[in-house]
Amino acid sequence: MATPVIMPKFGMAQEEGTVIRWLKQEGDRVEKGDVLLEVMTDKVDMEVEAQASGILQGIRVGPGETVPVTTVLAYILEPGEALPQDAAPTQAESQAEPQAAAATEATEVSAVKASPVARRMAAEQGIDLARLTGSGPGGRVTKEDVLAAVQAAQASPPPGRVRATPAARRLAREAGISLDGIPGSGPRGRIQAADVERRLAAQVPAPAPAQEPVPGPVGATTALPDQAAPLTGMRRTIARRLTQSWQTIPHVTFTASVDMRQAEALRQRLAPDVEAAGGRFTPTVLLALAVARLLPRHPRLNAWLQPQGDELLLTQHSRVNLGVAVALDEGLIVPVIHGAEELGLAALARRIGDLSQRARSGDLQPQEVMDGTFTISNLGMFPVDHFTALINPPQVAILAVGRAQMQPVWDGEGFQPAPVLRLTLSADHRAVDGAVAAAFLADLKAALEDPARLLL
Amino acid sequence: MDDQTEKTSSPEQAQAPPSDEFAGLSPDSLREALRRMLLIRAFEETAEQLYFQGLIHGTMHLSIGQEGSAVGSIWALRPEDYILSTHRGHGHSIAKGAKPSLMMAEFLAKETGYCRGRGGSMHIADVETGNLGANGIVGGGIPLAAGVGVSIQMQKLDRVVMVFFGDGAANEGAFHESLNLASIWDLPVVYLCENNQYAMSMSVRRSMNIEDISQRACAYGIPGVSVDGNDFLAVYRAAKEAVDRARRGEGPTLIEAKTYRWKGHSRSDKQRYRTKEEVQEWQARDPIRRLAERMMAQGWLDEAAFQALQADVDREIQEAVRFAQESPEPDPATILEGVYA
Amino acid sequence: MSRELTYAQAIREAIALAMERDERVFLFGEDVGIYGGAFGVTDGLLDRFGPERVRDTPISEAVLAGVATGAAMTGMRPILEIQFMDFITLSMEQLVLQAAKLRFMLGGKVNIPFVLRTPAGAGTGAAAQHSESLENWFVHVPGIKVVMPSTPADAKGLLLGAIEDPNPVIFVEHKLLYRTKGPVPEGYTPIPLSQTEVKREGGDLTVVATSLMVARALEAAETLAQEGIQLEVVDPRTLKPLDEQPIIDSVKKTGRVLIVHEACKTGGYGGELAAIIAGSEAFDYLDAPIRRLAGLDMPVPYNRELERRMVPQVEDIVDAARKLVREGI
Repeated sequence: MATPVIMPKFGMAQEEGTVIRWLKQEGDRVEKGDVLLEVMTDKVDMEVEAQASGILQGIRVGPGETVPVTTVLAYILEPGEALPQDAAPTQAESQAEPQAAAATEATEVSAVKASPVARRMAAEQGIDLARLTGSGPGGRVTKEDVLAAVQAAQASPPPGRVRATPAARRLAREAGISLDGIPGSGPRGRIQAADVERRLAAQVPAPAPAQEPVPGPVGATTALPDQAAPLTGMRRTIARRLTQSWQTIPHVTFTASVDMRQAEALRQRLAPDVEAAGGRFTPTVLLALAVARLLPRHPRLNAWLQPQGDELLLTQHSRVNLGVAVALDEGLIVPVIHGAEELGLAALARRIGDLSQRARSGDLQPQEVMDGTFTISNLGMFPVDHFTALINPPQVAILAVGRAQMQPVWDGEGFQPAPVLRLTLSADHRAVDGAVAAAFLADLKAALEDPARLLL
Repeated sequence: MDDQTEKTSSPEQAQAPPSDEFAGLSPDSLREALRRMLLIRAFEETAEQLYFQGLIHGTMHLSIGQEGSAVGSIWALRPEDYILSTHRGHGHSIAKGAKPSLMMAEFLAKETGYCRGRGGSMHIADVETGNLGANGIVGGGIPLAAGVGVSIQMQKLDRVVMVFFGDGAANEGAFHESLNLASIWDLPVVYLCENNQYAMSMSVRRSMNIEDISQRACAYGIPGVSVDGNDFLAVYRAAKEAVDRARRGEGPTLIEAKTYRWKGHSRSDKQRYRTKEEVQEWQARDPIRRLAERMMAQGWLDEAAFQALQADVDREIQEAVRFAQESPEPDPATILEGVYA
Repeated sequence: MSRELTYAQAIREAIALAMERDERVFLFGEDVGIYGGAFGVTDGLLDRFGPERVRDTPISEAVLAGVATGAAMTGMRPILEIQFMDFITLSMEQLVLQAAKLRFMLGGKVNIPFVLRTPAGAGTGAAAQHSESLENWFVHVPGIKVVMPSTPADAKGLLLGAIEDPNPVIFVEHKLLYRTKGPVPEGYTPIPLSQTEVKREGGDLTVVATSLMVARALEAAETLAQEGIQLEVVDPRTLKPLDEQPIIDSVKKTGRVLIVHEACKTGGYGGELAAIIAGSEAFDYLDAPIRRLAGLDMPVPYNRELERRMVPQVEDIVDAARKLVREGI
C-alpha cells in the first residue's frame, strides 16, 4: 500500500515547510526510519523519516519549494505498486482512496492490458489507460472501463477550471500569475489565498542560463546579484514577526552603562572551571546568569502580553525561559533556556554553548525555540557600542547588549580605566512603566558591577 | 375652478335653510352639490373615453350612478374632516374638493398628478382636503379609520373621519374589528357603506342573509341606518346626523347607502351576473336627474341653468385633460422617492 | 453614565422616555395596560401615563395595525405591541398593503411613523404558534423598516431611534433576551437606525448574527479565542434598510463569513446577506464559502430537546466557525 511522505507539522503555529534537500532519491529503496529529506519550518531545520519500507517514488516537491503542512511530498511504494492517481491528496484522503490500493498492475504504460477498442477510445478521449483499473479478464481495460472514465471526467471540472477561492484568484490576478500547478491546501485541493501567497513567496526569478559561472562566493543571496527575490522561510518569518512587533508594540527603551571590571575579573577567574565542566564562560553567559537570577524579582518584565478579544491579557511567569539570540547567515534565531533561573553557572554555560552550536547547524528542536519569556541580544562581539532591539511578542521586554569599551570611570577619587558596557532594555510600554524598567536595570547594573550580589 | 371649490365646499357655511325638504341646505349649496355630481360624472365618462383611446394604462373603477351617495355624505363634512375612500373613489375625491386637473394628471401617470404618477386611479389622495386616499384593498380603509379616529380623539381635534366601503367589504373580518373598536373607544368615525349590490360579480343577495347591512350595527352597540343612496338629500340627512354625533364624541355610526353602479366592475367586466333590464331600472333613478328635478320643482333651477352647469363642468374636464396631457412624466431618476421618509 | 438593566427594563425605559418627551407617542395592544404586557415589558406604564395613552385593546390584530397606520398618518406616533410575532399574521394586510405602501402610493405626501414591537423566537416551550421568527417577511416589504436589538443598550437606543424614525418600523424583540442584563446609558439616548455594529473584533472569521444569535456568537467567540481562533461578531441591528459596509469591510478583513440567525434557513435573512457579500467588493477576499447557520425548515417543536436542535446553539456556532477557519468548509 502506498505510504505518503508528507510535510510534517512540527509545531502548533506551523503552517508550512520548505524542502531543503532530499537525502534519498526517486526509486531508492528505503527502510522505515531512514531519513528521507530535510525540511525547514518557521525557524528550525528538521529531518523527515520514512514511515514505511519500500521504494521512494513520485517526489513532487523539490528543494527550495515551500508547501503547506500535510502536503504529500512523495510516496513509499511496495515493489510493483503504482503511484496513487490523485495529484496532491492529504494523508487522510489518500488512505481513504480505495483505488490507490487497488491499482496493483505493473505500471509501465505500454504494458497496460487493454482491448483494442478501449485503446482507440482512450486515445480519442485523451484518457490515460495506465490510470484505469481494468475490469476485464486478467485486469484488462475494457470499453466499459473507458466509458466510465469518460463519464467521470465529464463530471469533474473541465481542464483549466482550477478550484480556488475568490481571494486566491484575486491575489493571483494582482500578481499576474497563473493558478495552474499551485497546490491547494483547502478542501478537495481548493487553492486558498495562503497557497498563492506561498507560491508568490517561493517564486524565484527565472533561472539564469544553465551553468553560467557566478562570480564571487556561492550563496543563496549572492548568486543572484541585482535581482529581487521574495523572502522565504526563516527570513520571511522574521520579517513578519518584526513587522508585527514594530507595528503593534509601543516600544520604550532605557539605557544604562555598566562598569564591567569586577564582572570581567570574575569571568576570567572562573573560566577554567567552567571549561572543565564542559562549558565556555562567555560574557553572554555572565549576562544570562545575572538576568536569569534577577528576573524572578521583576515578574512584570518576565511576562507575556497577548490580545484576547477586546482585552489584553498579561501573564507574569514564575519561570524564566531565557532566549539568547544567535546570529546566523540567514537571520537570527533565539534558542530558549527553559527554567534558566534554576541553572548553575556551569550548566548554564553548557546549555548556551550547546544551543548556539545547534542553532548554527540547524539542529534545534521546535520546542527549543518556543515559550521564551525574556530575550537577550548580545552584539558585544561586534563594534557596536549600543543598540535597541525589537521585542519578540508576546514577550514584553528584550535586553540589547553592546560592546564593552574602555572608558574612564569616576571612583570617588579619580578616573579609572574600566570596560564599560551599555545595556539597552526595550519594553512594551503597555505592560511596563519606566519605574519598573529602571528598577530592573538598576538591579542588573549593581549585580554586574558587584557580581557577589548574585549570591543574594 | 379652484376658487369655486374653495368657497363652496363647506355647505354648513351656506345660506340659511329655506325649508325642511332640503334638509336645511341653501339653493347655492344645492347647486354646488349638483355641479359636483355633474363634475364626477363628466370626469368618469371622459376618463373612460381616454381609457378606450389607450391613454390610460392599468384599470379603473367607475362610480357612475353612485354620485348621490358620494356627494350627499361628504356634503355633511367640513373641509378639515377626513375621508378614506375605496377603489371606486373618484366621486369621493371630487366631492371632497379634489381638483379634476390633478386627478386627470394622476390618471395619465404624470408627475403633476396627486400621487406624482405613482398611485393611479385606485390611490387618489388629496391630503390637503382631508382626503387620506382611495384604497385598492376591499375594506382596506376600515381599520385605518379607527386609527384616524384615535388620532382625532387624542389630539382633541374638532374633526371626524368618514370611511367609505362597499357591500363586499362588509363581509371582511377587519370590518368587524374596526366597528367594535370604534364603538368601545367612542371614536369619531362614520362608516359609510355604499351598497351597490355587487361585490364584483357576487350579489348582496347571495353573500349575506340580511336585508340591510346597517343591521350589523346592533352587534357593536352603535346606530345603523339604511338610506336610498340615489337620493342626495336622504344620504345627506343620515350623514349629517352621524357626523354631528361623532363630533359630539358619542361614537361611530354605520350608514348603508343603497345605490348601483351603471358600469361594470372594471374595464374588463362582461357583466354576466346582471340583466340589462336591471341596469335600466336603476338608471331611471339617476341621482343627478332626481336632485335637479326637485330643485326645478322648487324653482331653484331651470333647464337652461342646468345646461349651463353641464357646459361649465365639461369645460373644466376638458381643461383638466389638456393640463394632464401637457404635464411631464415622472423622472426615472426619482423612481425610489417616497418609499421611505 | 450607565447602569445594568434587563432588556425588558431597557425597552420599558425607552417607551417611558419617549412618552414623557412627546405627547404624540402612545402605547396600545393586547394586555399592555393592567396586565403589564404578556412578558411584563410595559408593567407600570398604565399607572404612569393613564388609560388614554396606554390602551388595552380587544384581540383584533388587523384593526390594531390599522390604528397604528391611521393614527401615524394623521399626526400621532403610536407604539403597538403585538403580543407574539406569530400573531402578526393577522395584521399582515394592514402592514404590508397599507402601512408599507401608503406613503409611496400617495406620492410621498404622508409619513407613517409608528413602531410595532413584538416578541419573537423559540426557546420557551411555547411550540409552533408562539415561537416564530418572521422578520424576513418584512425585510421583503419596501416601506417598512426592521430592527432586531441584541442587547439591553441596543434595545433602548434603537427603540428610541425607531420611535423618532418617520417610517413604520417592525421592532423584533427576543423572548429569551428579556431577562438578560447589560449596561444601558441613562437619559434620552436614541441610536439611529441602519447602523451596523461590530460587537467584537477578530481576524479569523466574520460572524454576522442577529438578535439572540449575537449573544450566542459572542459566547462562541470566547470559546474559540482559547483555541486561537478570533471571531469578529457583526450585528446588523437594523435588517432593513441595512448598513452593508461594515459587513463587507469585515469580510474583506477576515476572508471568511458565517451568518447566523434563528429564523428558518430557506428564504431567511442569511440568504440576502450572503448575496450582498458575494456581490460586493468582499467577493475577491473570500477564502472560504459563505456559510449559513439558521433554524431548521420546520415549525418550532414543543419537546425541549427538539426545540433546542431546531435553533442554532452556541456549540453549533463553535463547530461551524472552527470548521470554516480550520478546514475551509
